[in-house]
Amino acid sequence: MSPNPRRLVPDLVILAAAVGLFFVFPYDLAFLTRILIMVVFVLSLDLVLGYAGIATLGHAAMYGTGAYAAGLFAIHVSADPLLGLAAGAVAGAAIAAVSGLIMMRAHGLTLLMLSIAVAQVLQEVANKARPVTGGADGLRGIRMEPVLGIWEFDFIGRTGYWYAFTVMALVLVMLKVVVASPFGLSARGIHESPARMRAIGTPVYARLVAIYTLAGGIAGVAGALAAQVTSLVSLEVYSFEHSAEAVIMLVLGGTGRLYGAVLGVALFMTVEHLAAAVDPFNWLFIIGALVLGVVFFVPAGLMGVPGALARLGRGR
Amino acid sequence: MGPFAATAPCTRARHSLRGDTVKPILHACIAAVLAVATTSGIARADEIKVGVIVPASGPFATYGKQFSEAIAAYQEINGTTVGDHTIEFIYRDSGGPNPDQARALAQELIIREQVDYLGGFVFTPNALAVAQLIEQSQTPTVIFNAATSIITEESDFFVRPSFTLWQVSAPMAEWALANGITTVVTAVSDYGPGIDAETGFTAAFEAGGGTIADSIRMPLATTDFAPFMQRVRDEAPDAVFAFLPVGPTTFGFVKAYNENDLRGAGIEFLGTGETDETTLEALGDAALGLTTAYHYSSAHESPENALFLSTLARLYPDAVANFASVQAYDGAHVIYEMVRAAGTDGPAAIEAVKGMSWMSPRGPVTIDPDTRHVTQNVYIRVVDKDEAGNLINREFETVEQVPDLGLVNDY
Amino acid sequence: MGTILNILVDGVAYGMILFMISVGLSVTMGLMRVINLAHGGFAMLGGAFVHYFGAVLGLPFVAAAAVAIALVVLLSVPMERVLYRSIYRMGELQQVLATIGITFLMIASVNLWLGSSLLPIRLPDSWTGIVDLGFRSLPMHRLIVICVGLAIMAALYLLVEGTRFGIRLRAAVDNRATASALGIDTGRVFALTFGLGAGLAALGGILGAELLPIDAYYPLRYMVLFLIVVAVGGMGSIAGSFLAALALGILQQAVLYLVPDFGTIFFFCCVIALLALRPQGLSGRV
Repeated sequence: MSPNPRRLVPDLVILAAAVGLFFVFPYDLAFLTRILIMVVFVLSLDLVLGYAGIATLGHAAMYGTGAYAAGLFAIHVSADPLLGLAAGAVAGAAIAAVSGLIMMRAHGLTLLMLSIAVAQVLQEVANKARPVTGGADGLRGIRMEPVLGIWEFDFIGRTGYWYAFTVMALVLVMLKVVVASPFGLSARGIHESPARMRAIGTPVYARLVAIYTLAGGIAGVAGALAAQVTSLVSLEVYSFEHSAEAVIMLVLGGTGRLYGAVLGVALFMTVEHLAAAVDPFNWLFIIGALVLGVVFFVPAGLMGVPGALARLGRGR
Repeated sequence: MGPFAATAPCTRARHSLRGDTVKPILHACIAAVLAVATTSGIARADEIKVGVIVPASGPFATYGKQFSEAIAAYQEINGTTVGDHTIEFIYRDSGGPNPDQARALAQELIIREQVDYLGGFVFTPNALAVAQLIEQSQTPTVIFNAATSIITEESDFFVRPSFTLWQVSAPMAEWALANGITTVVTAVSDYGPGIDAETGFTAAFEAGGGTIADSIRMPLATTDFAPFMQRVRDEAPDAVFAFLPVGPTTFGFVKAYNENDLRGAGIEFLGTGETDETTLEALGDAALGLTTAYHYSSAHESPENALFLSTLARLYPDAVANFASVQAYDGAHVIYEMVRAAGTDGPAAIEAVKGMSWMSPRGPVTIDPDTRHVTQNVYIRVVDKDEAGNLINREFETVEQVPDLGLVNDY
Repeated sequence: MGTILNILVDGVAYGMILFMISVGLSVTMGLMRVINLAHGGFAMLGGAFVHYFGAVLGLPFVAAAAVAIALVVLLSVPMERVLYRSIYRMGELQQVLATIGITFLMIASVNLWLGSSLLPIRLPDSWTGIVDLGFRSLPMHRLIVICVGLAIMAALYLLVEGTRFGIRLRAAVDNRATASALGIDTGRVFALTFGLGAGLAALGGILGAELLPIDAYYPLRYMVLFLIVVAVGGMGSIAGSFLAALALGILQQAVLYLVPDFGTIFFFCCVIALLALRPQGLSGRV
């Protein structure tokens, strides 16, 4: 990929925003860190849903497995954060590979239901394995060592913030490379026409499983980040709501464009955060209206806003 | 005891706040914030904020409503000032069990809103997620509900005026034994609290010579209990002891108990919070005659409870007081007393309430100095109608001053 | 033997509830090709209205139920005209998003109106008795649920196979463009079907409230359950929905009777196996 300077503009904007937010909202780093972790999760979902067109409402299966893997790894093996991320990635990828073998033969509603069922089974397994996972009380006893042995996880969450940001940036860069590679292009091709891809000799099923596995690894990293930052893993990491919210955020931002994931998460979580602080009891109205508003007025998601404006401009 | 039980030593506090390598300006800025947030010993004659983390949306939103109404009632009775301090409660929505959210909200409340006390916490994982945090900031945190015994061991800054499942299920077992019930089938939801209740009941019941004929663990999401009722019937025990989360599951279980006519088959219902006042209304006459052991009934006869109920009714004509209400009411009381004794000095505030006794709307209570958990009366109640024909939990026997048996573990 | 009979009786009752709530979802999904996640919301609205008319205003149960179902239908048809008509044309993901948005608004509205606690429905006294089946007793209302479920199935069968509306409906499900070219007013068929589906969901919600209790959060709590019925039954098939609802009802009860400790795991593993083997559902339509 030739380093076209214009293509780096969005990345520089994101970096500038991260630095800016750090200084403007020094007291909200915990919340900003949650956004960053969610971005990693939704980026992974974008690869599956936006690029390869795999409809899923069970992406939390990989996130949750990554979270538990990282938590257990920290308690029983090593409390080094980076090794923990690797453990999360491997666990997420492994679950994705195994479940992908069954799921990637299905389509549409059947695929949606299979994805939900896998996450539900894993959640119940984690609930039953109380001696290992702590069940509904949560997996506790996670105490992380400093990142790279230097930066200790601090009270205000500065380390957590930059740690999550770095991971998010690396994942974003990696995905940019992946989606521009022949591998990534074949994912798009399968999304548009599986039959044509099969005709030109792409092993569609194997390719889908591979993409799902890669995305599973990234979702596992997101889960691992959450486990490390919160120092606790609960059964909710596998919840249907978690998967569904990720889909909402992705579609809000715009699918099939990595920056859509960033925008969608930032918008959804900020609106939710503010609305919930203003009226903790009735903020669902705001979220419902936001979701409907976007879907009716900018169906391509936030990434479609410039295009919509341009069309409006030309129309005048 | 869980396998990962680890008690955080108090000396960890603030350890990680040193050794900054960040720019001096930023450092100063954050240090200033922290200084305010964690300053010890200097009482500020101004507003003291209390952050309350509750589920205000989603399937558990009832807790948020009960808590906020009860706290408003407490403030109506006791005023909004303690000494020179005005006390303000700030609510944040945790949704359901969501430790990531709970921890981030606690951080936001402590750092940005500069709260000196935290309250709320319905779910165990949410409470556990803030343990390390409140150790570092030395923020006294009052648990309004979360009922797993281990919580108060995880940080010295937790105080819990609510209850634990051991605390109410063991007295239920003892009452059953004393009243001629010798065989019991336990039926609990298959998750942490359910298993706590099952263990607590079983330990006490078997220690007293009773027989557990069968222990049924039911999937948490199930709302159709006919299969379990058939199984209980087949065992033909003297009673069935149940624990399920408040809401649709409890409702479904009690319905199924009646529909399958277990009472007609001579199988008594023993429970804990199944007949709480918010569910009772929904259950209707089906609930008549159910026996439970619990720490609060809104029908408790005492001047304190009468004052609480009348104030609540004046502020919120539709409000129903239940265990969650009284736990938040007492939670507010604990916070007021901590402020009265120590202002914003976290460690001193915790010391001040150790061993504190007062007369709560639920009866006499004491904060155990060792566990920081409430020691309280547990009442044996039966669902009955009052003069006006409303369903109530009528207390007819009292087990005096029960500690948290899950930690004391004398079985 | 006793256990098998128990599983069958309880499973059929549970399955009938699932059928009544899900059949509308299946038909609208097959007909309009829209993944309507808000469908459970109509069941909740039905229950909430009955709660309001019955417990708050004191209307007798049958009258309250009739008014509630009528209200849900009256509410759903304009919704179809205003909201869903644009949703049909959207992509799959936008449909998911839009209907989740509608679900959120339904939940928030009921939460604001009636609060977040349980919304009990008072059944008439004659429904609360216990029927002796010889080998066991059965609550009266489950017997009623089974009968109503069978009646609905029969009525739907007659409607679809024996009326002009049914012919149009089948034509529109099979091929919307051709049906429209042949002069069938598909817009009207859509609106009527949508209203019918919503009304059935309301009926199922009301009758099923003893098994699936009503509260504001109902549409999200049971969303997965209803979708599974449609996926297992096959979209757009009434008979498929009926079979799937019965099969899942019986499976659910069998799991609870036989392996309650691993109930959830076993249930979802069976669903996974079923869907992996029959990706188009039991009815096998594409």
